[in-house]
Amino acid sequence: MGERKTSLTVTVDPRLIAYAEQLVEAGKAPDVSAVINDALSEKVGRDALDRLRETAAQADPAKVDRMLAHIDRQAAAFPER
Amino acid sequence: MTEDTGATPTPYVLDVSILVAVARADADVTRLVLALDGRGRPLVIPVLAITAASLDARTEDGDVALMGLERLENTMIASLRDAGQAARLAAVIAKTGLETCDAHVAAVADASVCPILTLDAQKWREHATALDEPLHIIEITDPDED
Repeated sequence: MGERKTSLTVTVDPRLIAYAEQLVEAGKAPDVSAVINDALSEKVGRDALDRLRETAAQADPAKVDRMLAHIDRQAAAFPER
Repeated sequence: MTEDTGATPTPYVLDVSILVAVARADADVTRLVLALDGRGRPLVIPVLAITAASLDARTEDGDVALMGLERLENTMIASLRDAGQAARLAAVIAKTGLETCDAHVAAVADASVCPILTLDAQKWREHATALDEPLHIIEITDPDED
């Protein structure tokens, strides 16, 4: 289920645009917009993962270790596939 | 693959309770999920469970956290791919009485023969035997707090 895309005007370093155009010419992207879109999506994903790691850093490590050990004990009761 | 044995461990299917905890920035559950991923444990996330967690949180931060799960090394999103899978989900709903998002978790676990990782084992125990093969449940809890 895709989202409707929005047009925007941005200022980009010439070398980055040159690279994006190179990708399009090489057939690796349909157009420059797609390259920019992919790059931003990649950044959103990286930032999301960083956010998870920041949250995890607030945890109680000893408690998490106990929970992991408890999971392992329960999993040992199941046959590995 | 794990470094210990070279074998790929059995995947765990994350249920809505886990995803809600992550979306609400529960630090312990988030760290636990990251630790499982770091150990090489495949984690399957039914897409409708993400929908349920997003609905519960209704925050941008919650959605970002859920997107972060998708980026982990060993997570896989289980989608509803076609009419056959949609019909199978309907059958699981009819047999178990589970809500749609929970039923998607059950359907994925049943089809893949993988245990469900949950914060609420009691809910699953009520439905574990409704399908032809029993669902396997692994509860996340701190035994020291029981």
